Amino acid sequence: MSGEEEENAAELKLGEDFVKAKCLMNGEVSLILDRRLEQLQQLSEDPLNQMPQVFEKSLQYVKRFSRYNNPDAVRQVREILSRHQLAEFELVVLGNLCPETVEEAIAMVPSLKDKGRGLDDEAIEKMLTDLALIKSSSSSGHLLKKLGFGLASL
Amino acid sequence: MFFHIILERNMQLHPRHFGARLREKLVSKLIKDVEGTCSGRHGFVVAIMGIEHVGKGLIRDGTGFVTFPVKYKCVVFRPFKGEILEAVVTMVNKMGFFAEAGPVQIFVSNHLIPDDMEFQSADTPNYTTSDGSVKIQKDTEVRLKIIGTRVDATEIFCIGTIKDDFLGVISDPSAAV
Repeated sequence: MSGEEEENAAELKLGEDFVKAKCLMNGEVSLILDRRLEQLQQLSEDPLNQMPQVFEKSLQYVKRFSRYNNPDAVRQVREILSRHQLAEFELVVLGNLCPETVEEAIAMVPSLKDKGRGLDDEAIEKMLTDLALIKSSSSSGHLLKKLGFGLASL
Repeated sequence: MFFHIILERNMQLHPRHFGARLREKLVSKLIKDVEGTCSGRHGFVVAIMGIEHVGKGLIRDGTGFVTFPVKYKCVVFRPFKGEILEAVVTMVNKMGFFAEAGPVQIFVSNHLIPDDMEFQSADTPNYTTSDGSVKIQKDTEVRLKIIGTRVDATEIFCIGTIKDDFLGVISDPSAAV
């Protein structure tokens, strides 16, 4: 594995195995794992018990940290972000962390500021405002404080 | 980060399974063998989503077992150096703290916690700023950056930092500014 040493997410170097992989936002993973759990529910009483710990921990994690909970909001986030010529990895980091300022976005995804991408501060700002709109209008009750953030930033 | 990825595995099947339900058997065996495992290269296999392709079987000399190359789609969790993610603190001690992001454990040493946070060995050990406004203890949600990974055959451990801009406790509004 020669790629191992050069691996660096900040420079979008993920190694050859992950070049073709599709990155998933926490909200998307949550939908996928939920569907999986439902399928298993039809086969047995207590499906979570039969799943490996990795599954259970991942499910808990994505539930806790996904900003968007209904499928429509998750789809909208990907749609809005994909208008901006982002790499998959960048898109998902932004979708997961929902930075509120341009500086924060660049600190989270340093590659946004790379050579001649035509992404100036204004474009990033616009992208974040669009994101915040979805965040505050997705009306699920999960993690009220995060909803609070979204409203405050409007 | 979670990924949707296509992986390949050589599956060995006993001849008694050869029949109309061969493919079904391959799938259930694949799920049993692979889900929940971890490799340094691909990370943790969280869930198998489907079979992409089953290649031609090859009879193994001497045993009668047949090896099928199976390509399958799955969701994996793979942490990367340089990645920023959110995690839940699981244990705090004077060396630093451990946090969990899904299946992966991340250690943040006290050298990588901002200097203005001091360790307090109370009932619930914690790191607190001198004015008490920010506190890290068990179950705190933090945003951290992975600065290193250590990989062995069945486990991935990460080293993280919260000593950088926009990292640290999440739920605290003052940390988000």
